[in-house]
Amino acid sequence: MTISRRRVLAGSAAVLATPMLASRAQAAEPIRFGWLTALTGANSAPGIGFNRGVQYAAEKINAAGGIRGRKIEVVTRDTQGDPAKAVNAAVEMASSLKVHATFGPTNSGESLATTPILARFKVPSLQVVQLDSLIDPVKYPNAFRFAPNNTQWDDANRHYILDILKAKKVAVLGDNTGYGTTATAASVAGFKKAGADVVYTAVVDANAQDVTPNLLRAREAGAEAIAVWSDSTGLDARLMNTRGRLGWKVPFSGHPSMGSGDVRRLLEKPEYWDEVYLIGYRSCSYDKSGRLPARTEAFIKEVHGKVKLSDTVLYWVLSAVDAVHLVAEAVDKTGSSDEEAIIGYWNKLSGWPGLYGDYTFTTERHNGYPTSEVVMSLANSERDGAFTLAPGYR
Amino acid sequence: MVESILSYGLAMGAVYALMAVTYNVMFSTSRVFSFTAGALGMLGGVFGALFIGRLGLPSGVGFLLTLGCCALIGVVTEFVAVRPVLKSLDQHLYVLSTLALTLMIQQFTAIEWSTVPQPFPRVLPFDLFVRERFWMPVLACAVVVGGMEFLYRHSMVGRAFLAIAEDNFAARALGLPERGLRIGSYALAGMIGGLAGFTSGGILLAFFANVPTLNFYGFVPVALGGIGNNRGAVVAGLALGLFQQAANYLVGGVFASVAIFSVFIVALLAAPQGLFGAAPARRV
Repeated sequence: MTISRRRVLAGSAAVLATPMLASRAQAAEPIRFGWLTALTGANSAPGIGFNRGVQYAAEKINAAGGIRGRKIEVVTRDTQGDPAKAVNAAVEMASSLKVHATFGPTNSGESLATTPILARFKVPSLQVVQLDSLIDPVKYPNAFRFAPNNTQWDDANRHYILDILKAKKVAVLGDNTGYGTTATAASVAGFKKAGADVVYTAVVDANAQDVTPNLLRAREAGAEAIAVWSDSTGLDARLMNTRGRLGWKVPFSGHPSMGSGDVRRLLEKPEYWDEVYLIGYRSCSYDKSGRLPARTEAFIKEVHGKVKLSDTVLYWVLSAVDAVHLVAEAVDKTGSSDEEAIIGYWNKLSGWPGLYGDYTFTTERHNGYPTSEVVMSLANSERDGAFTLAPGYR
Repeated sequence: MVESILSYGLAMGAVYALMAVTYNVMFSTSRVFSFTAGALGMLGGVFGALFIGRLGLPSGVGFLLTLGCCALIGVVTEFVAVRPVLKSLDQHLYVLSTLALTLMIQQFTAIEWSTVPQPFPRVLPFDLFVRERFWMPVLACAVVVGGMEFLYRHSMVGRAFLAIAEDNFAARALGLPERGLRIGSYALAGMIGGLAGFTSGGILLAFFANVPTLNFYGFVPVALGGIGNNRGAVVAGLALGLFQQAANYLVGGVFASVAIFSVFIVALLAAPQGLFGAAPARRV
């Protein structure tokens, strides 16, 4: 073959153009954000709330041109609250869809099943479920939790009962589900470790029709406050109704389900909801003057008329917005959507200012939510998915 | 304490007795233990809350509509889950078919109604010494058992039910409309199950997850009272309710269930045919 000047010029042009074309192809590739949650079925309320935040944040970033010219592509799979479906979706996302990061699933049963799978594929994962064992930087170096775990909930509740309500004798009640039993045992251990007198403990059937015996026993034992660990709104309401009928002014403090609108509908009298405190977050709590923190207020103003907040829980929406931004910023700052780049970036975050909280991660610590942000709220104060800070906090 | 044991115990005992009668009525014409009994009880509460609480219909209208809807579900049970497996009763396929239908009803209710308990409205504007949630199930139980006694002993339809229960083939040979009577018995069972759920709505609330409670605790009086024995079911149901509530006070929490099933097992070991049932005749 003869080498002509024309061939040399053409070859040179091709060699020079190849990286540019590759760069353009890379630039055009969307950032695939895997989003696993129950959007239909019996346990879909949180998923629907989280989804509003995910969609809003992705659309906003894309409308502003994306990240380094790359759009956020939200790849959603409805797990329907079924761990088997969640596993299938996680495998699909990691192996065939090649997502760059995942958020969810948003309930413990599904997350227990998907976390090892996503770890095997080294997919950067963001978690919000409370189960302590889900986060382990050694076993799952890809998984990061930017919400409180059960221990942080328990710490906040115990602090409120012992240090703010000044109760010396405490009763602990939980339901007989896996969560209720575990949370009750952990709560009792925590109170005892803190030197409190746990005068009565009971694990109650979540569908128990009459809880009078339990409250009578707690009263006879001299309980000055009751820690309640149940996500059953029926049991919550029955406890409050029974307390009201007994005319016993003992405070209830514990699980966020006690502030649900479903509890309100089941109460025999509205005043039975007084002196009930639930776990909340500073970012989603109204202060004495009825105002939310500045960052949250600005967000609510921004999404007014675009994202419905009146029928959901505010922290679901806020944390979902943060999830999208955590991924987007990692790609933006590192210039790469490789798993090492994203995980490496998250491992160095310190006080990252999200809407839901300020997150800090290190290679040894993947529970990024600050315990100081977990506070107690008044159960009967819900407005637009947020609650009023319980009395006693500054 | 005694007041609480009596009020809750008798009310829940009456509900369990009604659920047992629901099982018995379906069994009498088909020899099938239909596990849709719990679903019918659950739907009684949900339909009542829907018609009276959400749609604002008068209590009487809501009550009749509830019974009508539950009767319809009873008939659907016969067509969908019972009739297809009647030819192979010895294989006990009805366990699968009736449980499958129950699960479908339960999941549909969870999705379309609510996944959390919903309030059940007050039915009457007054109480009779005790709150309506306590006396209504007891009254309903008394009416149903009295009505069933009258039906079985003083009416042709009731006697036809008994004839089919005694010998299906012989009854058919005598010209009794076995299929029509079976559909009728499932409609009746639907109404009784719906009545149990409606009258106990103030205690159990309108909640899709009431199905297992009603199924399991409703079956205990059937076994203790003797299969097909409504009088035995009522005695056993009321005893179960009182014992459950007493155990709730004495041993508390989840141990109350352990106490109930311990007594249940001991009772069945002592009298396998049920405390009020006759020992089965053995063909030789």
